[in-house]
Amino acid sequence: MSLKREIPTTTLSGFALSGLLVLTILSILLQNIPNKIQTAGNALLKLNTTEGVANAVTTVVVYFRGFDTLGEIAVLFIASLGIGLMLHSNTKCNIKAESNFMLQTASRLLFPIIMLFGTYVMIYGHLSPGGGFQGGVIIASGVLLLLISHKAFEVPHSVIVALETFAGVSYVLIGLIGLLVLDVFLGNFLPHDISQMGLLLSGGIIPLIYIIVGIKVGSEMSMIVQNLIKRDYDV
Amino acid sequence: MTGFIILGTFIGLIIVSFAAIVQKKLADSIILFMGVGLGSVVLFFIFKAPDVALTEAVIGVGISSLIFLMALKHLGEQK
Repeated sequence: MSLKREIPTTTLSGFALSGLLVLTILSILLQNIPNKIQTAGNALLKLNTTEGVANAVTTVVVYFRGFDTLGEIAVLFIASLGIGLMLHSNTKCNIKAESNFMLQTASRLLFPIIMLFGTYVMIYGHLSPGGGFQGGVIIASGVLLLLISHKAFEVPHSVIVALETFAGVSYVLIGLIGLLVLDVFLGNFLPHDISQMGLLLSGGIIPLIYIIVGIKVGSEMSMIVQNLIKRDYDV
Repeated sequence: MTGFIILGTFIGLIIVSFAAIVQKKLADSIILFMGVGLGSVVLFFIFKAPDVALTEAVIGVGISSLIFLMALKHLGEQK
């Protein structure tokens, strides 16, 4: 304790952080030559054209590293499971006090827009920036808005279970069908012609997988948020 | 012009993150941490990573700070 009083740890750590950030600035600014930044993804873009997907990042995340994405989803599922095990409570929430009138009205206006935007980000993940993870979390934030504003609101547990099971099983099933047809796990067995690039129905299984990822992430994050908030009311 | 935006955002990030460290109240720290997330969204977008920018905006600023605030509320009640 006395050592901590003698050495100003807060100031020292602040200076260390500032120094690190300054070094990062300098290194990035030194590399800020237009050629280097603009040619960074060209090798991937060349590979990307074989799958007929307009957004190269989606091709990498869902197709070239599709198995890693399955692992990430498993990690998120385990996190949701842990929070559900630790924080779930069966007692009905008996809060009489309602939230603010402005919040209720605004949430009625904003909730459909948030849901629509989340679905758009999810479905157009192979054409524009975004995708399953982002769209799922946007949908979960819409659910969060409803949970804050309407205190009696609750996402039914059976709906979450059905959505999550469907998404997880169909992800693995699509991978196994790819293994059967093309001898590669998560092989792109649907037609993915290069001439269709930029259309909504292009890229074979890649948009399908991203929609599945979006459903799974959305239901899991909604469950996490709901467990945290409901627990908050009960205490 | 882009260089000035990048430099300004970086300096703002340093100031905000330093302020987040030295705050006395943890809730203020979390709010400033959200500010750090917003600055990095701008940087990701300038450096041509809109996917990462969207992820940071949704997860880093939205959901994770909510989880921090919830945890802080629990801890504060038990104190």
